Amino acid sequence: MSAPGGGGAYSFSLTTFSPSGKLVQIEHALAAVAGGTTSLGIKATNGIVLATEKKDTSALLDTTMIEKVATICPNIGFVYSGMGPDFRVLVAKARKIAQAYWKVYGEYPPTKVLVQEVAAVMQKATQSGGVRPYGISLLIAGWDAHRGQSLYQVDPSGSYWAWKASAIGKNMVNGKTFLEKRYNDDLSLEDAIHTALLTLKEGFEGQMTAETIEIGIVTVPTAEQQIAKSGERPPPTFRKLTEQEVRDYLSL
Amino acid sequence: MAATGVAPNNIGFDFSNYARNEFLGARLGAQAKTTSTGTTIVGLKYGGGDSGDEEGICLGADTRATGGPIVADKNCEKIHYLTPHIRCCGAGTAADTEYVTNLISSNLELHSLSQGRQVRVVTAMTMLKQYLYRYQGHVGAYLVVGGVDSTGPQLFTVHAHGSTDKLPYVTMGSGSLAAMAVFESAYKEHLTKAEAIALVARAIRAGVFNDLGSGSNVDVSVITKAGTETLRNYETPNERGIKSRDYKFRRGTTAWLKENVRDLVVSEEVKVTMGAGKAQQGTTDRPVAVGAGPGGEEGMDLDA
Amino acid sequence: MSIQEYNGGSVVAMVGKDCVAIACDLRLGNQATGIAMNFEKVFPVNDTLYYGLPGLATDVYTLREQLRFRVNMYRMKEEREITPETFTHLLSSTLYEKRFGPYFLEPVIAGIAPPTAANPNPQPYVSTLDSIGCITTPKDFAVAGTATDKLYGAAEGLWEPDLEPEDLFETISQTLLNAVDRDALSGWGAIVHVITKDKVITRTLRSRMD
Repeated sequence: MSAPGGGGAYSFSLTTFSPSGKLVQIEHALAAVAGGTTSLGIKATNGIVLATEKKDTSALLDTTMIEKVATICPNIGFVYSGMGPDFRVLVAKARKIAQAYWKVYGEYPPTKVLVQEVAAVMQKATQSGGVRPYGISLLIAGWDAHRGQSLYQVDPSGSYWAWKASAIGKNMVNGKTFLEKRYNDDLSLEDAIHTALLTLKEGFEGQMTAETIEIGIVTVPTAEQQIAKSGERPPPTFRKLTEQEVRDYLSL
Repeated sequence: MAATGVAPNNIGFDFSNYARNEFLGARLGAQAKTTSTGTTIVGLKYGGGDSGDEEGICLGADTRATGGPIVADKNCEKIHYLTPHIRCCGAGTAADTEYVTNLISSNLELHSLSQGRQVRVVTAMTMLKQYLYRYQGHVGAYLVVGGVDSTGPQLFTVHAHGSTDKLPYVTMGSGSLAAMAVFESAYKEHLTKAEAIALVARAIRAGVFNDLGSGSNVDVSVITKAGTETLRNYETPNERGIKSRDYKFRRGTTAWLKENVRDLVVSEEVKVTMGAGKAQQGTTDRPVAVGAGPGGEEGMDLDA
Repeated sequence: MSIQEYNGGSVVAMVGKDCVAIACDLRLGNQATGIAMNFEKVFPVNDTLYYGLPGLATDVYTLREQLRFRVNMYRMKEEREITPETFTHLLSSTLYEKRFGPYFLEPVIAGIAPPTAANPNPQPYVSTLDSIGCITTPKDFAVAGTATDKLYGAAEGLWEPDLEPEDLFETISQTLLNAVDRDALSGWGAIVHVITKDKVITRTLRSRMD
């Protein structure tokens, strides 16, 4: 008996390899990501930008409710392409992981450690019974004292890489080609934000406005900002741009 | 066993030593020594009315931590951070005040991220009282919670058993009587910000000088809609005198039997070589015998 | 006699100029009876971070092994050495987890963080915890163990700021030796570690053996 879909008998159980060594459910998850709206991240010399497009399928939709760029903890942010509900579940888990780390070590996790933890959560969904893989790819941007600013991509399989710049979702192939042409090693954050907007513009359906895109940035704290002041928390290094800030960048 | 992840898997306490400690305690008497914050902590509402100042909360604390009759810390911080616009003064068992405020601060941050807004002071107070009630007073945290939210300035006290009060001026800790005497005689509604800070500092000073559990300096926090102003060591009425002589020992005073100096600076001699596998100057190459080295049965020959 | 005093022993740590020192006595007792004179209570975490565990000897072993496990896990996961501040928090949460069945120990930590790009010039650091993990980070010195009261007195009088490593050695040694001479449960030899950025000097002191 064969299950419906392209993978034949091997598409039904996600924990069964096909004879060619594929786990087709993971490939289907990647297909879900490739169908999602475009997101991208660019690492600059003094920060990182995460940007994504908010697709409004209907003029009646209230886009203020949609949140595609999420703060995980004061030094780390996520953006995704793929299935929104899966993203929200992962964001909730990631925030809990970050807080659990804070409670033990008195500091927020370095980007790489959080990436590894989230990747482990995603990997678990490819090897456990009764579940399906997460239908999203993540771009994770953060700053920490050990490695500075770093940008990672995590895929539904749970594999992750560090990038200088990457694009995921519907336009990822074009986006990556565009980024390869535009990227250089001494890009400033301001340049990176403009490059991100230009990349997003390629193949953007409809009008690009402050309401239809979302941007998050990582900034590198000054030496003074890193000194702990009594009774205060150090200023966050990841934050989302307000609609007004996005509008200002678009009008430039 | 300890958790293998970045954080322990279990949330909550581990009672595995409890029975042992009860047994040892019964055999030898006495329990583990814990640092307690004897403490004077206070808070009041100010502003509004005809004061001309924006409404806000002013919190104050002394900075002494004690372990029995010993002063364990002469300048500790008892005004804990909960959120950018909520602070919490802690009295009682020092570790408990630290951990309960950290836990609630962490949960409030999760709450604020998921709700996309600043949390209210009542939320903080409710989370604290529900947690403390659950432990029936065994988590010994006595708190003054104050802050400004969308409903205006809010001030509460939370007791270790979970009861709470909502009052315009409050004091807690072993110095609470001294501090309350000051408040009862001088508090009035609609104080200006400057008057509020001065009154809070005076109440803390009353604790510092009249209560043995309180001492050293005065910490103040002022919270308004705009944010929190932290006045760490706002007053330091108990500065240590300067030593008129030094007590440096002549080097060699202490006799020692054995010394071990571990040099942490790694130094190495670098020899410039060319071509991997080629014979290098200053080294002797030995062919690996068949079956002995990594080459297994085939052995490994050296490059000519 | 409380459980914390069952085996005896004391630890002291002091801040100097670009250096820290941590010292302990070597006695292991069974109440008033001396059992061993080689019971070190100070252990290394990494090159420039040491900690001392005065208190119940059985808990010294248990906690030391648990910390070794957790620090090794940290080192592998994070691919870096733990800083004194982070180690203090790790130790604190380890102790507070056992809030209602604590270890009978009062840890003292002394070290200098490895320099990084974000923090190229780390400062010497000393901290101490109570048995359930309340952190105190003094700017001058930390003391713990059965000679706590005497150590406070000696250190409060002898410590001064900006001591060079060799001067810090004399100050911490004299503080410890004179304090434990007035404590029946501590003594029987002493070990001092002076930690600087580029070396660690460890000396076994000559002391009264009564």
